[in-house]
Amino acid sequence: MISHRENNTQRIAALDEQAEARRLRPGMGIAEARAMHPDIDIVEADPEADRRLLESLADWCDRYTPLVAIEGESGLFLDITGCAHLFGGEKALLADLMARFFHQGFDVRAGLASTPGAAWAAARFAAGQIIAPGGERNFFARLPLSALRLDPKTKTSLESVGLRTVGAIMDGPRAPLVRRFGATLIERLDQGLGRLEEAVSPRLPVAPLSVERHFADPLSLIEDVERLVGLLAATLKVDLERREEGARRLELLLFRVDGMVSRITVGASRPIREPALIRKLFHERLTALGETIDAGCGFDLVRLSALSTAGFDARQGDLAGEVEDDGEGLAIFADRVTARLGEVAVLEPVPAESHLPERAATVVSYAQEENRKAFAKAGKARRGTVSQSGRLERPIRLFRLPEPIDVPLTEVPDGPPPHFRWRRAVHRVTRAEGPERIAPEWWREGNEAPTRDYYRVEDADGRRYWLYRQGLYGAQAAAPRWFLHGVFA
Amino acid sequence: MATSAVARDVVFALRQKIAKIEGTLPELLVLPSDSTAPSGILVRRNGLASSRDFLLPTGVERLDETLGGGLPKAALTEIHGTQTRNAGAAAGLALCLVSLMIKAKPGALVLWIGTAEIFREAGLPYAGGLEWLFGLAPERLLIAEAPKPTDALWIAEEAARIDELTAVIVELRGNPRGLDLTATRRLHRRAQEAGRPVLLLRQSAEPEPTAAPVRLIASPAPASLRRTLAGPLAGSIGPPAVTVEIGKSRAALAGKFILEWNPNAHTLAERRDESVPENRVAVVSPSRGRADPAAAAGTVLAFRPTSEPAPGDQPSREQHPAHRRPRRAG
Repeated sequence: MISHRENNTQRIAALDEQAEARRLRPGMGIAEARAMHPDIDIVEADPEADRRLLESLADWCDRYTPLVAIEGESGLFLDITGCAHLFGGEKALLADLMARFFHQGFDVRAGLASTPGAAWAAARFAAGQIIAPGGERNFFARLPLSALRLDPKTKTSLESVGLRTVGAIMDGPRAPLVRRFGATLIERLDQGLGRLEEAVSPRLPVAPLSVERHFADPLSLIEDVERLVGLLAATLKVDLERREEGARRLELLLFRVDGMVSRITVGASRPIREPALIRKLFHERLTALGETIDAGCGFDLVRLSALSTAGFDARQGDLAGEVEDDGEGLAIFADRVTARLGEVAVLEPVPAESHLPERAATVVSYAQEENRKAFAKAGKARRGTVSQSGRLERPIRLFRLPEPIDVPLTEVPDGPPPHFRWRRAVHRVTRAEGPERIAPEWWREGNEAPTRDYYRVEDADGRRYWLYRQGLYGAQAAAPRWFLHGVFA
Repeated sequence: MATSAVARDVVFALRQKIAKIEGTLPELLVLPSDSTAPSGILVRRNGLASSRDFLLPTGVERLDETLGGGLPKAALTEIHGTQTRNAGAAAGLALCLVSLMIKAKPGALVLWIGTAEIFREAGLPYAGGLEWLFGLAPERLLIAEAPKPTDALWIAEEAARIDELTAVIVELRGNPRGLDLTATRRLHRRAQEAGRPVLLLRQSAEPEPTAAPVRLIASPAPASLRRTLAGPLAGSIGPPAVTVEIGKSRAALAGKFILEWNPNAHTLAERRDESVPENRVAVVSPSRGRADPAAAAGTVLAFRPTSEPAPGDQPSREQHPAHRRPRRAG
């Protein structure tokens, strides 16, 4: 039995058949239930966990159709348009789904109809029924009003005027109903009967291409999965070739026998379609995941889908069979590193038009080809400015965030510090050059942002640092702060 | 003299033996006659890379002589920084070498691999400064950030065989467990096979046995003054300088050099003249024979004796060393 807190009292949120048989009802106070049956087992409700469970079930339902939507707190919509024949018809699909859920230990009620509204009602009021197209009218006629997914207020007010079944309002005059109970009522009715189109929005985007393989005997070795990826990729290659495309993002779905679904995604910095390459990328990803992928009792369905594709310009090899290679080895290398260590593992510095040092050369992920292209487009224009800024003396290493340093005093307000404390060590400044004043970008930070005065300093041991003072002495009440921004060679 | 000749013979025999085990033949490299080093230095060369551009001359005469002709190009080279805060000096030396390598190749790409830890502690390579000093344009640099040292080594091994990369820098901090003789040997072999250098940049690490043939220890050096038409500009900070010590090399000659990088010509040069003002503390103590030096401020006080002095000018019991005490029989 599961309890939840409502209006400062613990109430029963959900219960099993045994508890139901003992005349306990949802909404009953926990104290009351305990007084009736002292031996009941009560667990605090955890909506987050319920949500996670529902999402993992939705993941699992991906094996039937890619269009799975979560409905409310305990429902799933599966759009099986065009999928039923893969499982031997609607009836067989429904039976298969029910059986699999039953073996996983779930008590599931399912309904199948040609409109989402009718399916919703069928699942709740006629478990396991398949409503044939056109049969919605007869089906709805004998159902109570709650089959229409109405809010409780509308339902109560309808019942108070004696309208208790859907049949009662189905043929009634529509205008007065709308006027009195709102447009939602008629909308729901029309949706249920199929007069109005209702879209089920899937929780995940549908992959343009996917290939899968079912196994009667589950796969339990990761090496087998890797080999299988190669085979699936070979099938995928044919489809990609037909579309003259290559895959940019690939996803591998592993459906475990006990209902657990693992999603493994890899990205490629340029479109790929070679099975060996795809297999290599998944090999890196699987190695990186290592222990987190638990094969358990094995996988009975493996699906490889191309989440996003892009035009693939096929290059012709020369007579010796060697394809002209322009940085392809590097791109594959970057993809493999990215697959194993994440998006930000391979970075590329990109110059930008800014005089703030941290903005002038930012690093972006190598995988983001769009970024690179955008920068390359501006490249012609910036070439001049970079050579200009290339003449400025800049440190060879820059800290991601300037590190605050402790400067007890300066000799003159505009001068460099005679010594400073950085990372708990005191550095005595022997020589300094500067200041170089860098004003903040007013179009970003506003007029009030303090300026920075940069100094190149050398300490007694010969280490060269780039310090700056944020603000000016005497300009504001608090003393300006000092930062160490980079180190020179 | 005779003993050193015998020792040299033994070393020669051992080197022959090692060369036989490794399957490469030793080769005699004759140094210029005016050098102070012994006339013949043995350098083992791999059969693969015995072409003319096997060594990278640094351009510093004395350093090249001591290294036996230059840095091996197709090899793992270790560059040590003594402390993390000296990361600028060690990275500077590595970049000097990289810059010398890519000077001849216009489209050369360089990969800089580092752990997240070292990039946080010592800063990320900054494209603006690299272009200014070393002529390494932003589009020619790639940075790989690995969460762990083992990941960084994996990336380095993979990167060593990518043809597009001219040089690979691997930067690690301290002495990680994964970086042992085996790991460095693997990196070295990869570099040898590809014929391209892998620079292992190690910040605040203790020297330990590795497979790298050369280990350079970099520490910061004060920069010289800026040269202007009117002479050196007082109080200015000139081009980058670094103190390099040879920790290990096949030629087995020790040496310490202050190298200076010329950011315009992209060359290294040795700095011998100490144009930098030394610290002002007197190096030699004032002579005794002259008039009394100024009296020290304050008065001199003796420490109070901790125990009663022993009679007859003998040291007290506590001051008696343990081994001089009368030995107890039985």
